[in-house]
Amino acid sequence: MSGGDGAHPVALALRRSIGTATATATSAGLAFAAIDYLGVVSVLAYAPGATAALAIFIGGGIVLLVSGIFSELNGLYPSAAGIRLYLGRAVGNRTALAVTFTYMTTVVLVIAADAFLIGAAVRHVLGEPAALAYLWIAVLLGLAMGANLRGVRLAGWVQTVVTYTVLAGTAILSVVALFHVGGAFRHPFDLFGKGSFSGIQAVAFALFLYAAFEWVTTTAEEARTPPVITRALFIAPVLIWIVASLFALALAHLEPFSSLHGSAYPQLLLGRAALGTVGELWMLALTVLTALNTFNGGFLVASRFIYAAARENNLPRQFAWLNLQAVPWVAVTSLAVVSAVVAAVVFATGQWLLLVAVGAAIEAGIYAIGSLCLVVLRRRDARERPFRLIAGRPLAMIGIVLFSVLFVATGFSDPKNAHHFSVAPISVIAILGALSTAYVLLVVPKLQAAAAARTAAARPRRRPARPPAATQEPVPAPGSAPPADD
Amino acid sequence: MANWDELAEALADYTVSCNENERLRKMQRDWSRTLHFICSDTGTTFSLMVERGEILASPEGHVGTPDIVVTTHSETFCDMFWGDLNPVQKYLRGEITVKGSQEDVMRLDAISYVIWPDS
Repeated sequence: MSGGDGAHPVALALRRSIGTATATATSAGLAFAAIDYLGVVSVLAYAPGATAALAIFIGGGIVLLVSGIFSELNGLYPSAAGIRLYLGRAVGNRTALAVTFTYMTTVVLVIAADAFLIGAAVRHVLGEPAALAYLWIAVLLGLAMGANLRGVRLAGWVQTVVTYTVLAGTAILSVVALFHVGGAFRHPFDLFGKGSFSGIQAVAFALFLYAAFEWVTTTAEEARTPPVITRALFIAPVLIWIVASLFALALAHLEPFSSLHGSAYPQLLLGRAALGTVGELWMLALTVLTALNTFNGGFLVASRFIYAAARENNLPRQFAWLNLQAVPWVAVTSLAVVSAVVAAVVFATGQWLLLVAVGAAIEAGIYAIGSLCLVVLRRRDARERPFRLIAGRPLAMIGIVLFSVLFVATGFSDPKNAHHFSVAPISVIAILGALSTAYVLLVVPKLQAAAAARTAAARPRRRPARPPAATQEPVPAPGSAPPADD
Repeated sequence: MANWDELAEALADYTVSCNENERLRKMQRDWSRTLHFICSDTGTTFSLMVERGEILASPEGHVGTPDIVVTTHSETFCDMFWGDLNPVQKYLRGEITVKGSQEDVMRLDAISYVIWPDS
């Protein structure tokens, strides 16, 4: 088979396609948001001092398993529908939809969290009153919404430059900070120093630093060749590992945890400790740059998912309405409004570390589900894949168990106090999951029925009836492809 | 399986529907692309040349370097160009595969959506 039904598309050179450098930048850029700086603080909460780097290293090793799993799934179904399609094929459409709706809420959380964090950082540097942070949040989200509604996109090369600038800038400042102070690293191998479960929780939060790197699979249709996405999935985590490790080491070296703990801008504290005002402005510039990737990628991914769901009659049809720039304006506007509300709640409650815990838990859950998809699809779909994970089935089984444990570890964590457990993150996820499931089971069937009735009432089938002779199967022309095998 | 005559008839209707839709032409005014199509069951190939939102030609075979390549069954193509099916549903189930940027895929679907909002 050479095309439909999930087969590999025919290899044809596109006029515009993306190569390994761009795909890697996309992957790393999606993962490395402003919230990652807080993610490092969450790791430090469980793995003190230089041990954080060890947790990030272990997390990186585990993420390479995710790289292998998603590389195989992406090779099998190279589609922007990504996890939605893998899950649909593995466990059915309804489950796929419920999980994907929950998954997409992480995009909203990340957009909201980044808007809050950047707003807080800008306000801090400008020395404005705390209340003005929300003004900056509103301005940022307003700009992102306006740019999206006008169809403004970051060119691929701009996104690449921005990502590598943020990664290189963070790494360089961290190295400067380490040389600036010198001395030995504290607690280099104290993974279980804060309790018997703390090491697992540290690794679980380290996993969050890499979260969303797998979204690069949604660009599979633009990739020059299938190995481009595979290479990006393996290279991007290494880049994030290097940068996050250096940042964690520098942060642990220069700043006492007590000062990081309550701060929404630890990167600015590091910048100031390393290079004074110059360092602070340096980190502020990098923080603002991360917004370009988050808002560009986040708004694009989420709004297009909402559009597709509405076109599929799984969301009210208004979400598919397009403006004259062919942008789904109701989807984009709703996304901005919901993000602003979430950011306001975070602003009012100061619970930004809860967002980190929820995001980390959902990502671990998605990795467990991805592992499950691989196990099921190894059995159901025997086609050749461009990438086949060695010992894929046992490794995916290990993945299901491992990521489920990490899901529980973050779901019951309290990043504000490593010695305590909290049900807050798992409660938020349970509510999101229950709402998604109830929506899929109760509302979607009604939307589908209404759409079917609308279509039937709107007009009859347009395609002319085929004359009787034409209904016989034609003999394939010489040289044409063999018939589909489904 | 649909033969080329059926596909050509569907494409002719699709071309008229697109080119005569003012809102669509305005929406796609900055969209100039070459599209290639492959019927996975019959091996038939054809192209679509779009210049500033206007479909200029839809010849059999592949012409030029594509911006987008769409692959599915010939019957699905016919139904799609007649507006009798929703391409997004097929795409999300992996029955239509596409090579091209997400933005172009979105634009391609927007054509069907604007012409036949109830398909």
